[in-house]
Amino acid sequence: MRNRLLALGLAIVVAAVAGCSSGTQSSSSQSSGQGEKVTLTYGIWDKNQVPAMKKIASAFTESQPNVSVSVQVTPFDSYFTKLQAAATGGQAPDVFWLNGPNFQLYASNGVLQEVKVDAANYPAPLVNLYQFNGKQYGVPKDFDTIGLWYNKKLFDAAKVDYPTADWKWADVQAAAKKLTDPDKGVFGIGAPPAGQENFYNTVFQAGGFVISPDGKRSGYDDPKTIAGLKFWTDLVQAHYSPSMQQMTDTLPLQMFEAGKLAMLYSGSWNATEFAKNTNTKNSVDVAQLPAGDKKATVIHGLGNVVFAKGPHTAEAAAFAEFLGSKQAADIQASTGTVIPAFNGTQQAWVQAFPQYHLQNFLDEVSYAVPFPISKNTAVWNGYETDELTKAWSGSESVEQAAQNLAAKMNEALAKESK
Amino acid sequence: MHGTTEQTGVLQRTGAGQVAEVRRRRPGRFRRQNLLWALLFIGPTAVGLAVFYIWPALRTFYFSFTTWGAFGNYEWSGLANYQELLKDSEVRTAFVNTFWFTILGLLGIPISLVLAAMLSRRGRKGVSAYRTLMFLPVVTMPAAVAIIWRWLYSGDYGIINFLLAKIGIQGTYWLSNPQTALPAVAAVGIWSTIGYNMVILMAGLQAIPGFYYEAAALDGAGPVRQFLSVTIPLLSPTLFFVTVLSVIGSLQTFDLVYVMIGRTNPALPQTRTVVYLFYQKAFIENDRGYAAAIAFALLVVIIIVTAFQFRLQRRWVHYE
Amino acid sequence: MSETAAALSRVKPRAGSVAAHTLLVAAALVLAGPFVWEFLTSFKSLTEVAQVPPTILPQEWLGSNYTAVFQALPFGIMFFNTTVNALARTGAQLLLCSMAAFGFARINFPGRKILFALFLSVLLVPSQLLVIPQYEIIQSLGMLNRLPALFLPGMFSAFGTFLLRQFFLSLPAELEEAARLDGANPWRIYWSIMLPLARPGLMALGILTLLWSWNDLLWPLIVTTDTRKTTLSVGLASLQGQYATNYPVLMAGSLIATLPVIIAFILMQKQVIEGIAFTGSKA
Repeated sequence: MRNRLLALGLAIVVAAVAGCSSGTQSSSSQSSGQGEKVTLTYGIWDKNQVPAMKKIASAFTESQPNVSVSVQVTPFDSYFTKLQAAATGGQAPDVFWLNGPNFQLYASNGVLQEVKVDAANYPAPLVNLYQFNGKQYGVPKDFDTIGLWYNKKLFDAAKVDYPTADWKWADVQAAAKKLTDPDKGVFGIGAPPAGQENFYNTVFQAGGFVISPDGKRSGYDDPKTIAGLKFWTDLVQAHYSPSMQQMTDTLPLQMFEAGKLAMLYSGSWNATEFAKNTNTKNSVDVAQLPAGDKKATVIHGLGNVVFAKGPHTAEAAAFAEFLGSKQAADIQASTGTVIPAFNGTQQAWVQAFPQYHLQNFLDEVSYAVPFPISKNTAVWNGYETDELTKAWSGSESVEQAAQNLAAKMNEALAKESK
Repeated sequence: MHGTTEQTGVLQRTGAGQVAEVRRRRPGRFRRQNLLWALLFIGPTAVGLAVFYIWPALRTFYFSFTTWGAFGNYEWSGLANYQELLKDSEVRTAFVNTFWFTILGLLGIPISLVLAAMLSRRGRKGVSAYRTLMFLPVVTMPAAVAIIWRWLYSGDYGIINFLLAKIGIQGTYWLSNPQTALPAVAAVGIWSTIGYNMVILMAGLQAIPGFYYEAAALDGAGPVRQFLSVTIPLLSPTLFFVTVLSVIGSLQTFDLVYVMIGRTNPALPQTRTVVYLFYQKAFIENDRGYAAAIAFALLVVIIIVTAFQFRLQRRWVHYE
Repeated sequence: MSETAAALSRVKPRAGSVAAHTLLVAAALVLAGPFVWEFLTSFKSLTEVAQVPPTILPQEWLGSNYTAVFQALPFGIMFFNTTVNALARTGAQLLLCSMAAFGFARINFPGRKILFALFLSVLLVPSQLLVIPQYEIIQSLGMLNRLPALFLPGMFSAFGTFLLRQFFLSLPAELEEAARLDGANPWRIYWSIMLPLARPGLMALGILTLLWSWNDLLWPLIVTTDTRKTTLSVGLASLQGQYATNYPVLMAGSLIATLPVIIAFILMQKQVIEGIAFTGSKA
């Protein structure tokens, strides 16, 4: 027994060490000469989009037979932690997704390679989002806007008219009041402290701002911004929305799908999710966001970028640019998972789920505001979470929390320009 | 040569005497040879520990005097991190939370002791079955334990609140209520280690020779008296071992908090432990210099607390 | 136990025994009950678990939660990685730690005390203190995201050395003295004499290391970025991130991740518990 045990141990150690040095991994590639086989790695975070990405990859290989692409999925909550570590060690995927908040961090540190983009093909805010110092580093992939999703059954039961494009804040508040039914555990609206889906939109609708255009000042101490935040905390305090504690315990998205929330501000990306869920498949719909002082919604989109320190940057850049082509956009649209950025390809997405008025998301683009970012967005995003959670849970007033947040954010922004 | 116990004693004496004599005759040669053999046996582990444990510890110490930017750029910043650390309320709160976890964690030991005592009684039926069931939490992955308990603790749909409601108690959102989150997580920590401590204590109990109990019984001591004057003192080395392990483990609480409490949880400040803060600073905010300083502060605390426990053992631990 | 003590326990009325068993059953329920609940929930639909009052048995035994788990993450590969990680760490430690323990226990060499003190000092250091530079080393070796990165640092253990040294010290010396007088070199003594005797200690260390490696979260979390290279514990944590409060899927995932160890434990409970008890007695 002892002999066998130790032999096993030795064998494993030897095998493992041998496995260290040898072994072709899917991410390894030989030095590329002309026409030699190259395998690129493509890093993404949404498993729902894997089929579409794989289709695009095959289409690319058809046009460039010596290049194949391996799609790697990392769940979103660990995607950027891992990506930064990998990039530091020179091991990032050849092509990968970036979002607005993280883009400048990578661009400003020389991690990304320039790409060629025909700006006429995409909405201007998206092209600009992925520029840095006048150079283009990202190819727009898709975009999303925020809409007011609502549960038709609950509206019918409470005899409230469905939201229209003319709704204003007051209409939301009135409807939320009528739709809240404590006995059934139903709330009028879900009001989590989420930036992109909730308070960024209302901040802009109130005429406030999150970060100044030059990226040096926080907008959180502006009274109009605070009014935009109060829209949500008022709903929580009035109990037309679940409490902060409850929304941590069960996510608003789940509550909405379970029929416990009548309204939820959420992104265009949830169309697929709602269409799959038997509860929401045919009983929900979406309207444009109600206006505050004016109409506004946050527009954001992912970009495909190229790792500057990869072994095959030429092939990688070609793939990234292919990802921004009409062909790729059509493939994305046909799966209905996201709205492709390429102009004119969005109709397929709208038609993917005819039971929802998805055209609303496209109509919002005309008054959409770009997602607020800076060189190191993650730092003050963290402060947003820390401070605003206190306002939502009622342990601090909104004014106080916003002031604290502005102070911390300004400190962080000052460090960026050093 | 390979005799019984009694003969071994004699052999050992003469054997050792003989070997000692041999050693004295040619000390130099043996020591050199011994050194080579020692290198062969200890070498691999020593090298491995040096590369993966000692060098990293020193390197982290060095890092604690640096400030980090993104993508691995860092520069020397002297005592800045430590100065910041002493002022930082987040760090202070993290240590306070960690201490609470440690104190609460100790509550599990009396429970394990009672269970161990009950299972160690002679003639107890079903010991093996009880022991297996109670050990299940120990072999379960902390991530899974955390997920299972998140479900049990769910404010609206969890079974705990449902059962409490049946006896008229209104349950709360255990994991997102700032007042209940820490005890709730600590309770899960206790739950997952009761079986482990119980098994070790059972081994300790079985090692207590029976004649002590006999003598006590003859002196007229009842079960409680026996427990206090025989069991506890003779079990104290094992109790000490279990306590030291529990404290060191609790001071490093991470897995449970990481999985049970999310970033947007309003109760995060009240449950964030030192290691959680370390992970947040090092791998989410990439502030690795500061994280290194935090890790060192934790090391100092562990050393002090452990040293304190070892000093204290003279008061209450009886060795044979 | 002696007759008197046994008599004492018999003197205790049956009421005491009933009370004891009640307490034991209650404890067993608290400690094992959640697993039953986990099992039942994993077959329910999301709508069903959102019902108040909760149902005990699933209205319909759904397998869809399990398919969702496998679609979300490559659990099969993760299982493989976790197994290799655990076996590699354990096998290496059994060999290397027993060698080092033998060296400390039975070979007298200059500097032995200092070297052992150095080994002991490693025990005090919490693992978090080491992860950043350990990560750096793995990175510079180009092994990030590769399987060996998971177990490489874990192959060396001061704790294992300490534990086995204690054990070796408690073994009678005359067997080995006899062999030495016969002219056997230390390696032969180690391999043919000490190791067979060390079986209880090896089993204890082996079990502890297997368990600890299987459940390790922080190190795999840091060192493997690819979901196909990481372990079950990381997979489970990220399932939590993805499915947040979709409890049926989470329960299914937890069950898949932990069932192998639970089954192995139930099959080998005697050895596992003996091993754990052993570590307590030797420390």
